Amino acid sequence: MRNAMPKLVLGRLSSSLLTLFLVSLVIFAITSLLPGDTAQQILGQFATPEQVAALREELGLNQSPLVRYWHWLTGFATGDLGMSASNGMPVAQLMNDRLPNSLLLAAITTAISVPIALTMGLVAAMRRGGNIDRALNVVTLSMVAVPEFLVATLAVLIFAVHLGWLPALSYVSTVESVGDFVRIYAMPVLTLCCVLIAQMARMTRAALIDQLDSAYIEMARLKGVPPVRRVLRHALPNAVGPIANAVALSLSYLLGGVIIVETIFNYPGIASLMVDAVSNRDLALVQACAMLFCGAYLILVMVADLCAILSNPRLRNR
Amino acid sequence: MSETHAMPHRRQGASQRRASARRMVDGSRLPISAPARRNKPRLKLLRWIGLTLFGFWVLVALFGPLLAPYPMGAFVADEIYGGMSAAHWLGTDYMGRDMLSRMLTGARYTVGLAVVAALLSTLVGAGFGMLTVLLPRWLEEGVRRIFDTLISIPSKMMALVMVSAFGTSIPLLILAAVLSYAPGAFRISHSLATNLATLEYVQVAKTRGEGRFYIAAVEIMPNMIQSVLTDMGMRFVFIVLLLSGMSFLGLGVQPPAADLGSLVRENIGGLSQGALAVIAPALAIGTLTIGANLLIDSLSKSRDTQKE
Amino acid sequence: MTHNKRGDDTLVSPEQSLQVYRAMQAGLSRRQALKMLGVAGIAAAGSGMLPGMSMGWAADADGQGTPKRGGRIRVAAHSSSSAESLDPAKGSTAIDYVRAYTFYSGLTQFNEQLEPQPALAETFESSDNGGHWVFTLRQGVTFHDGKALTPQDVIYSIMRHKDPAVGSKVLSMVDQIDSVTALDDRRVEFNLSAPNIELPAILAVMHLVIVPDGTTDFSKGIGTGPFTCEEFSPGVRSVAVRNENYWREGYPYLDAIETVGISDESARVNALLSGDVHMINNLSGRNADRVKQTEGSRVKATNSGNYTDLVMRVDQQPGSRPEFVEAMKYLFDREQIKRVALRGYGQIANDQPIAPSSPYYFDGLPQREYDPERAAALLKKAGVAGARVPVVVSPAANYSEEMGQLLQQSAAQAGLNINLNRVPGDGYWSNHWMKHPLGFGNVNPRPTANILLSQFFASSAPWNESGWKNEQFDQLLVASRSEADDAARRQMYADMQTLIHNESGIGIPVFLSDVEGYDARIGGMDRTVPLGSFMGYMFAEYIWWNA
Repeated sequence: MRNAMPKLVLGRLSSSLLTLFLVSLVIFAITSLLPGDTAQQILGQFATPEQVAALREELGLNQSPLVRYWHWLTGFATGDLGMSASNGMPVAQLMNDRLPNSLLLAAITTAISVPIALTMGLVAAMRRGGNIDRALNVVTLSMVAVPEFLVATLAVLIFAVHLGWLPALSYVSTVESVGDFVRIYAMPVLTLCCVLIAQMARMTRAALIDQLDSAYIEMARLKGVPPVRRVLRHALPNAVGPIANAVALSLSYLLGGVIIVETIFNYPGIASLMVDAVSNRDLALVQACAMLFCGAYLILVMVADLCAILSNPRLRNR
Repeated sequence: MSETHAMPHRRQGASQRRASARRMVDGSRLPISAPARRNKPRLKLLRWIGLTLFGFWVLVALFGPLLAPYPMGAFVADEIYGGMSAAHWLGTDYMGRDMLSRMLTGARYTVGLAVVAALLSTLVGAGFGMLTVLLPRWLEEGVRRIFDTLISIPSKMMALVMVSAFGTSIPLLILAAVLSYAPGAFRISHSLATNLATLEYVQVAKTRGEGRFYIAAVEIMPNMIQSVLTDMGMRFVFIVLLLSGMSFLGLGVQPPAADLGSLVRENIGGLSQGALAVIAPALAIGTLTIGANLLIDSLSKSRDTQKE
Repeated sequence: MTHNKRGDDTLVSPEQSLQVYRAMQAGLSRRQALKMLGVAGIAAAGSGMLPGMSMGWAADADGQGTPKRGGRIRVAAHSSSSAESLDPAKGSTAIDYVRAYTFYSGLTQFNEQLEPQPALAETFESSDNGGHWVFTLRQGVTFHDGKALTPQDVIYSIMRHKDPAVGSKVLSMVDQIDSVTALDDRRVEFNLSAPNIELPAILAVMHLVIVPDGTTDFSKGIGTGPFTCEEFSPGVRSVAVRNENYWREGYPYLDAIETVGISDESARVNALLSGDVHMINNLSGRNADRVKQTEGSRVKATNSGNYTDLVMRVDQQPGSRPEFVEAMKYLFDREQIKRVALRGYGQIANDQPIAPSSPYYFDGLPQREYDPERAAALLKKAGVAGARVPVVVSPAANYSEEMGQLLQQSAAQAGLNINLNRVPGDGYWSNHWMKHPLGFGNVNPRPTANILLSQFFASSAPWNESGWKNEQFDQLLVASRSEADDAARRQMYADMQTLIHNESGIGIPVFLSDVEGYDARIGGMDRTVPLGSFMGYMFAEYIWWNA
């Protein structure tokens, strides 16, 4: 039983590699399908056909797609992410400039949202049907029902324009003290938490209630196990799998899906890099970002699955 | 306190048969009856609120355009972001159009598209999630790889490629939404189903030689319905919000029509003056999504109470 | 010309007269200027004194006292992309343009009348009416890395645009330059394939600024401009600090300028109002009013001849029926477009692409009014009465969605049903622009009328949006380039505008103003170069900070 875990992790990692490969193939195919290529995007509205042809040649876009994909793949395998076609800088450097920002934002948001969401979900499940549950229900629903761009813009209007407490833009480069740090991250984190907490809290509650409805909990109740203990000791272990998956899904959003927050607060993260790369048909950059997001997602769901397996020994034999 | 628990009613028929087998395995489950609910009136209240809110928006979606005082594209006022007035109950938008008319006309896109897309995403995602745990290992892995790949494609890219390949239409918009949200539903329901599939009664059903669809529908589904429905409620919200981004990319709803999310987005400039043009559609989205979720919640709860 | 509220007694600001004085001192006599520049309003060439020559106007802008040295400001442009580059050849958005003029200088520079003034070139002259040009370089100019400016740098900076692989945005403008040669260590000669009296104006465009010979890595922004590049991260920000060795004495005023891009308009406005940035561009009329009403911030609107046009392909149905095209031009309710879509920040246009601020603007054409009955009759004649036609709009073409919706409403009055088809801004110019029978385009200001007409209306022009071909027009266009007599040349431009107004498939309802919002503490904002926002992108060295 014990040495099943490393084997399982290894198996997961190898299938993750397969997924990464599939994703790179699909992204490549989509990029080729999209109308307009890098050369056209670089030259813009006022490009002449000769220029496009010459730039295509220069960028190697005239090679067959398979050859280009092979070049990219072999480069990627040896750790060379290639050059960004749209601005001539190495992809690794572009990512390097922005990835720490994205990771930091994701880490802060995770550290704040996950405990709050899990607590809210647990409390709601324990007090199921009660006033606290209903209040939390309405609160989480209202949080998620407001469009993200509205929350962000409203926060800027109140805290930056009217009150002047916080800066409207989040410039990481101006951080000099802990106070600055808090001021800069307050609004982006707040906005992201609004979206994430609701989702995670509601899924936690639902997964627990599914368990609380099952007969073994009923049994425990009949045996006189107190409610808190019933939830924490009996229901929770069996709900860890779905909860961990819901959390992993929500968190995977934190790298690639925060484009609105990055745009409104002008936060230099990796999501806007990816969106630009798609607009510019900048294949190497799109691929690198996609690999990063996909890799992060796979790691998150792997951790989630491992949590599920550790909490439910029966899954180890599957 | 209200810690009431009940066994999902659908299992009841089968559980009688299974009970003996189960007792033989580890004796953890007993055919017991559920206690009566203590908080029934409250539940009903929430259900009625949900039903009222959601029903209201369904009615607006169906008949709203007939009630609109102006054509939704008509420029009827010189004042932009106008406030409430007799002529314009919900004020005017960023170009001086009547907000009430625009909402009455636009609601049907949001309600219709989001309901269909949320149902489809959950059906596809949860369906595959449940079935795959019963499939051979290699096939399960294959399906998981496909969904993991789908979830890793940026939704903007997906939308762009669909617009360029197939043009723009409402079914396409739904397809884009389903492709974006089914993989998440799959993830969650798959992890739920994996847990359930290890339980004795499923193993027993397998040994009994029950078909995969039977096991999925009768043995697994009822035990994860709460999570699946909650997930669907969340997905409904996300799809409502996704639509506005999609029509921004040229997929689906075309001007002068606009869905509720697009109405918020195009009038966001009026937020600083507290314009109704941005508050009204935001409230509409709020009431619609909260109503839908309350309704969904009460649906799963009412299933428990039915057998009383 | 600046219409400022203090009246007409300050037609020439101290700063302007200083400039003129320097220009004269540099060896450019007024007479020479007249002869070489060949720009209308000749009596004022090089002095910038004649009112009414340029209709660039400024609202709420005033000079705010005397220039001051020092201060650091943050400027936000409306576009932000990881494709930003300090390579002048690749400049494509406002933020690229601003950075180019911040870090680099050209041989010439536009003044408020769009006349090319000496910059890195101290003098320039043509001995044969525009066929060959000799530019004499200013002495003692150094690049930011200390290297002295030589003719080789000029040759490299210009000729690199001719290599298609560089991907230059101005290849078509540079095409006419056959060669650039060094005559000695101060003078360079430009040999053109055909005479062009506007070469000095062409050399003032942002893409043709001078970079050191042999540069391939532009990430350091080494130029001869007023500021040196301290930091540049594409899509994030750039920091420019004062170049102490700048060749123009006394400039720049500011210590540093930080440039960022904020693509979301309400985020940009909020950043200005909260004091996080001090100048923003690309304001819509709705937000301009909001900025104007806020204490401590101001608005400046410049009409530079930027327009969004309805493109009706005359080589496809239904644009191939002249009556249909004419009907569409009558279906624009121009007043309403200006009032509703632009909130007044624009100028009514008359389907002629040359803006009233241009010396070649022809004001003899009767204004086309909204006339649904006439349009209905024309549509009937064209055989498309009651038809349903699709029109492509996109966020990429400014205000096209609003204009499309207004057109849809006004066309319904004439019984024409318009189906709007909104397509993504992403990839619009390569995939949709000029490719649909009916769609919208957007044309930024060009430095000269001739460039504009050559690029967008000549039969062989690569961006002849409507596919309109007219031999008479082509002949007039070529002849105008070497016509020495000003009156005759004006007549040629008038004829060309009449042809476009009557026959081409381009409908231009309004000119869009470039609207900026800025912190009231910024001084020097009364300068207006009608080429685009940020004083034609050249604001960096002219503004100061009153704090």
